[in-house]
Amino acid sequence: MKALDIAMRDLLHTLRTPFTLIMMFGAPLLIAGLLFFAFGSMTGGGEDLDLQTIQVTVANLDRAEVQGGGFAAGELLIEFLRSDDLSDLLAVEIVDDEATARANVAGQRAHVAVIIPGGLSAVATTPGQEATVVLYPDPTLTIAPGIVQDLVSQFIDGFAGAKITAEITGQQFEARGVPAGPALLQGAATQYAGWLETTGHHQEGADPLVDLRPPATEGEPAEQDAGIIAGIMGGMIVFFTFFVGAMGAESIVREEEEGTLPRLFTTPTPRTSILAGKFTAILLALVVQIAVLLVASSLIFGITWGRRPTVLLVSVALTVAAAGFGIFVMSFVQSTRQTGPVLGSVLTLTGMLGGLFTQGIPNIPELFNVVNLVVPQGWAMRAWDLSLAGAGPAGVLLPVAALLGMGLLFFAVGALLFRRRFA
Amino acid sequence: MRATSLALKDLLQIARDWKSALFLVVMPILFTFFFGLVLQPDSQAEADARLPVGIVGREAGGQLGAHLERLLAASEVIRPVPLSEAEADEAEALVDGGELAAAIAVPEGFSQAVLSGQSPRFTVIADPMTTTGQAASQGIETVISRLLGAVQTARISADEFAAAQGFETEGARQAYLMRGLDQAVAAWEEPPLTVRQEQAVVSGEPGESEVPGGFAQSSPGMIVQFAIFGLITSAMILVLERQAGALKRILTTPTSRAAVIGGHVLAMFLVVFAQVLLLVLVGQLLFGVDYMRAPLATLLMATILAFWAASLGLFIGSISKSQEQVITLSLIAMFLFAALGGAWFPLEVAGEAFATVGHIMPTAWAMDGFQNIVVRGLGLASVLLPAGILLAYGLVFFGLAVWQFGFETR
Repeated sequence: MKALDIAMRDLLHTLRTPFTLIMMFGAPLLIAGLLFFAFGSMTGGGEDLDLQTIQVTVANLDRAEVQGGGFAAGELLIEFLRSDDLSDLLAVEIVDDEATARANVAGQRAHVAVIIPGGLSAVATTPGQEATVVLYPDPTLTIAPGIVQDLVSQFIDGFAGAKITAEITGQQFEARGVPAGPALLQGAATQYAGWLETTGHHQEGADPLVDLRPPATEGEPAEQDAGIIAGIMGGMIVFFTFFVGAMGAESIVREEEEGTLPRLFTTPTPRTSILAGKFTAILLALVVQIAVLLVASSLIFGITWGRRPTVLLVSVALTVAAAGFGIFVMSFVQSTRQTGPVLGSVLTLTGMLGGLFTQGIPNIPELFNVVNLVVPQGWAMRAWDLSLAGAGPAGVLLPVAALLGMGLLFFAVGALLFRRRFA
Repeated sequence: MRATSLALKDLLQIARDWKSALFLVVMPILFTFFFGLVLQPDSQAEADARLPVGIVGREAGGQLGAHLERLLAASEVIRPVPLSEAEADEAEALVDGGELAAAIAVPEGFSQAVLSGQSPRFTVIADPMTTTGQAASQGIETVISRLLGAVQTARISADEFAAAQGFETEGARQAYLMRGLDQAVAAWEEPPLTVRQEQAVVSGEPGESEVPGGFAQSSPGMIVQFAIFGLITSAMILVLERQAGALKRILTTPTSRAAVIGGHVLAMFLVVFAQVLLLVLVGQLLFGVDYMRAPLATLLMATILAFWAASLGLFIGSISKSQEQVITLSLIAMFLFAALGGAWFPLEVAGEAFATVGHIMPTAWAMDGFQNIVVRGLGLASVLLPAGILLAYGLVFFGLAVWQFGFETR
């Protein structure tokens, strides 16, 4: 009973402290909300991306042919980039020369410069000649240049195909000793252009060339598309439960410093009951925190955390691990002045190792997925990932067992150190 | 002089605390290394920078199989990795694990379908949420499109010849068609019209020093982030002095209010300035981020960033009543400014609204300034605007801090 009294008193104190409340609920939801805002359009599982409009500056050095009134490849490319279909994606500005285009990129007035070479039209219609359209992107960008390159390549391939058609037709006629006049070759090129226009091969078209589908995730088959925000929120829940676990354990250090704990030790209440009460308070605070964060994130971000028994199992394991880790870390802290820096550094470093800050970042090296499991935060994240992927209780047994084992071990070591300290 | 003495006292306090080194130096270096590796483009790790794409199910005896393989091999974007039957079952796992950028399943009977004028659909397994998956998918599509184009070229040539001269037999037409296809595929292996993306260099000597991948983002990003995070120790001193009544006691001496504020802000400035310079040096020597290509520009950015961060620190120290408040406000400031300002990830990858809001943040301008130097390869003139805006932010925070500081100590 004494232990329960101590637990309730500590829990009330925790829930009345604005700082703790912010770290329990405000910070994780705020950060996840920020990232949800950042990647909001990428979390809906296949909705259109809210890409920024790409500022494109074009230097068309292929202008001579326009003045002649004939075929103008450069102008056609500009027309394509300025087409209504691309008007939401691209904002195209035409400049007089290459230097201005490059200067626009250097001055961050444009994301990508497209430099159309002089004589592109002539090369497109003359056998044996080659030309290259140069893209000069802002080097801090990766997505915008890739999109512009895809679009320009797609269009330039059309010219290349027509040119190849004319050339191959001419070569095959010549090989058989049959003359092929310019009109015939032009006709072949035009037929190719017509075919291309009719088929219009691209992914967004009515008849896409490929069916693109993401790989099934490791482990049990994915039952839902959790989206990036679920992973990010999972990382935040894990980070801040460990934070609150350690903050709860800080009350032992604080009470020791303030003299209330030594006074408590002079009462008939056994020391084991006092420490058990403190540990129970941490567990209760964590249960409240995890429950609130799971419900709030479901309501705000629409995250489905998985099957109820699995979520319950993972939550319990996370609670034990975070509380045990908190006791362990705080057993090394000598005064409350050390709390902030020790908490900040230990939890940030272990969180980093556990992969909590890299949720949603693509192309993470495989090695990190192994390194993650050195710390309990990595196992917690693994458990949430499996739960989000729809795993049943059996599917999360390994990470849950690892979390419980680590939590109990940390608690045992931390409690031992505290007992020695208060002996 | 009194302000200098107060600043020296603060600096001594910070220097005596071992935890300061942890916040100011060790953690930012670890984070720079970690995020630099995470953000490092995969392609830089291999000699063949093309994205590996697994090929599943090559149809036996198909007339176009060899042509498809030639075009895949000639791609500048993707590198074909033929998978055995046993490996084919693991294709999804290989893509999921990052060993393959994508996998392509060649549909059964695709040669016959293509030659009869149809466009069979290829199944591509790739993660559309990653730039690698998108690039691989686009590369595959380009190859398929070129194969279909080559078939069309051969067909047009055959039709023209049939119209001009005629074929004696269907076999002669087929032979002509396949010869034309072979020539067209050869032409597509080295297309006459191409698109080339010019890589930016930061040395001024093209080809000498390329943009150093993920560290060009993580190094300035962590400098900016930890300039804020490191303020915890500095702002804490201010709070502890207030709690202990030391601030009030100082005001009873001939020391002016301005000297007290000046001393504290000077200490914070010097701490952040030294931290930034040290991290710049680490970035230069350990991670290959070339800050020293424009030393004056780097020095200007370091100075203004330190002033802004010190003003923010003074503001946090001024309004905080307890150590917990310092930690809370510093963490919130760090998360808000660092995440929104593009210190964690480039604002380009965020949505338009986020990027627009993000660019209002002072941290976004700090990132702009540093990246103008280390990524865009620009000089002093390019950092004047970012530094000017950051300075204005610094003055605003300084003004708020002085106003709040005076209010607190009255």
